[in-house]
Amino acid sequence: MADKKKMSVAEILAAARKADAAAPAKPVASGEAAEAPAGETAPAPAVKPAAKPPAAKPAAAKPGGARPSVAEMMAAARAEMAASATVAAKMADGAPAKKNDAAPKPSAAVKASPKPAAAVASGPKDTGSILAEARSGVKPGPMSKAEAALKAPAAKPAAKSEKTRIPVPPMPPKPEYAKPKPAPAVTEDRRGFLSVMMGSFLGIGFTCNAIVYGLWTLGTARFMFPNILTEPPSKFKVGFPSNFAPGQVETKFIPQYGVWVVNWEYNGQNEIYALRSVCTHLGCTPNWLEGEQKFKCPCHGSGFYKDGINFEGPAPRPLERYAIHLADDGQLEIDKSKLFQEEIGQWSDPASFVAV
Amino acid sequence: MHGSPEEFRAGISGFLGGYYLFLAAMNSVLAFHLWHNKHKVAQACVWVVVTFVLVAIASAAMGGSPPGLPAWLRDDVNAATGPVVYSVGTTALLAVLYLGRRFFVRPMVAWSGLNLALVAMGFSMVDENFASIVTKPDNVPIVGLVFLLGFFTWLATSQAVENDDRAKQGLPPKEKLDNEKVLVWPDLVYTELICMIALTAFLIVWGIALQAPLEAPASSVKTPNPSKAPWYFLGLQEMLVYYDPWMAGVVLPSLIIFGLMAIPFIDFNKKGNGYFTIEQRKFSYLIFQFGFLEMWVTLIILGTFFRGPNWNIFGPFEYWDPHKVLALNNVDLSQYFWVKGMGRGLPKAPPGSGLGTELLWIALREGPGILLLLGYFLALPPLMATTVFRKFFVKMGFIRFMLMSNLLLFMAALPLKMALRWTLNLKYIVSIPEYFLNF
Repeated sequence: MADKKKMSVAEILAAARKADAAAPAKPVASGEAAEAPAGETAPAPAVKPAAKPPAAKPAAAKPGGARPSVAEMMAAARAEMAASATVAAKMADGAPAKKNDAAPKPSAAVKASPKPAAAVASGPKDTGSILAEARSGVKPGPMSKAEAALKAPAAKPAAKSEKTRIPVPPMPPKPEYAKPKPAPAVTEDRRGFLSVMMGSFLGIGFTCNAIVYGLWTLGTARFMFPNILTEPPSKFKVGFPSNFAPGQVETKFIPQYGVWVVNWEYNGQNEIYALRSVCTHLGCTPNWLEGEQKFKCPCHGSGFYKDGINFEGPAPRPLERYAIHLADDGQLEIDKSKLFQEEIGQWSDPASFVAV
Repeated sequence: MHGSPEEFRAGISGFLGGYYLFLAAMNSVLAFHLWHNKHKVAQACVWVVVTFVLVAIASAAMGGSPPGLPAWLRDDVNAATGPVVYSVGTTALLAVLYLGRRFFVRPMVAWSGLNLALVAMGFSMVDENFASIVTKPDNVPIVGLVFLLGFFTWLATSQAVENDDRAKQGLPPKEKLDNEKVLVWPDLVYTELICMIALTAFLIVWGIALQAPLEAPASSVKTPNPSKAPWYFLGLQEMLVYYDPWMAGVVLPSLIIFGLMAIPFIDFNKKGNGYFTIEQRKFSYLIFQFGFLEMWVTLIILGTFFRGPNWNIFGPFEYWDPHKVLALNNVDLSQYFWVKGMGRGLPKAPPGSGLGTELLWIALREGPGILLLLGYFLALPPLMATTVFRKFFVKMGFIRFMLMSNLLLFMAALPLKMALRWTLNLKYIVSIPEYFLNF
């Protein structure tokens, strides 16, 4: 703009539209280029209408010659897909003449542009690849007529692949500078990594940070596995069976082991058993109330009889038993690693009690 | 806890003397305000009389003989305290407050209520057991919170009642009149500064005056008796008395949170947006206040002041005896049905049967409870939709109505289960301890 004033958004938009309108009417040209040969070389009437829409549509929709929108690209690509599908079907149906007709063509078509062949070969595609394919033919911004003519075959793969035979001269061999360069050497990659990690103070800082945090994480993991466990052994002796009078609940092992040794009857049999002092409701430790002859939990008021059966409060199941047996020296030995639950009938297991 | 009764009496007398003097000062300020600013001399005279009475009580307290409640009254209160009396009583109290809200929101009535509550608390404090519960450092903030909650409930209700009155006269709600903007600086910032200073001063006084509620060193084999959750979780702890841990500890709390989150999607009443009202949102108001005041706050109060050793319920003036015996023989529904109803043993899978057979036997055993639950959660919503909540169903549509009715049923499940426990000693409706599944 001549004046110093900044352009408003509206002005920018208007300018952009003007530029688009002024650009050569590329889709129209491409449509013509693709269609005319198709009509001449392929007399099959069934294929022609199918091949037409993709070419015709952009021309009709954008008389101004502006870039096609995403929706238009997708529509065009889908129509091409449909066209190629019908063509493939026709070929399979068996029109030998046509097949012969088509046979020599691929070489020329492939030479002219390798894309259409690929498009025909791979059947239906996902939206992303359709879009990418459509976009690949459209360079943003204005385009010269020659460019548009070059682009046209790529934009119409289906119509070209089978039916059109454009007299395209064979491509000259690629000059040296246009040939794809070999992939950069691996050593360069490694150096690139190093320069990212160590090339700047920021990189060094972040790298050191990462190392320190990694070490901390490992140290934390190591912390979870201490060298020494200060837990009491899971197997311990509590004395001779004669120390436990009938009807007695021995509470002296609670502070160290969390277990009551009880001499009482269960199912009509007198036995010594070890009750785990953990409430089956939410894991508090109940107290033995000698006066009331019951275990009572201070958290939610669950109550258990002397045999460990729950009878009041919310506890859903009886207290659990630890394994108990007579050791070789005649003492009772409790093994806290094994639990016995009444509600699944484990209290009848001889390992859960010592009969007296 | 305390030293000798004489020491306790001397300590509490000094405290109560200051307490009553504070109440007297409070009332004298009100009397001065009424007389000077509002020119209501008659009312001011009443509060001056109240002030003098309070000063007299304060002098008696400082003299070493604070007035207390008679022993027979305390004994009667203790004897009457129980879960049924408590729940029915709190429900009735809240219902009276709700129905008579037009009367109770009057400032003078509310002020009288506050005075009565504070004086009643002072009279009760003379009792050693009551004082030991209320002045426990853990519980002091809860006492404060009870009064604070009462104040805010009164404030909201009074504004709602005023707005409802205005709506009847065809006037817009009060909040719509007063929607002028307020400046952040200086108005808001000054208010915040004053609040900050006041709160800091309050916290300093609190930190000096109250001992930290420390307990014995933690031990994995010794649980304090009673073992109480933080005050804000006492409602949950109370729920745990009636439900299995996964139900009361996981499912119901999650439902509370998700239910609260679902309210904006369930609510179809456009009224009451941005102003206090009760009349225009009666259903929402009642359901929320039932859930909050009745199912949450009263349970916190119950857990704080009434639950003692072994999680037994104690009266407010009762000694917390860890050997108090309450006969509670809880029975599952399956036992009620099979043992008491049919006069036979519980169905039990023959020993050695496979998993499938065992599950079938369990299903048979718990059949009555399972059917009851299915009826409650599946049959009741359609029934509600066709009868009581017909209008709601039409307005809300199927999904929203089902959501609301199920949340409502889950909320009602707690008081129902409590009532069943208290009346029938019912432990679990469905009890499958084999697979940790109880309801």
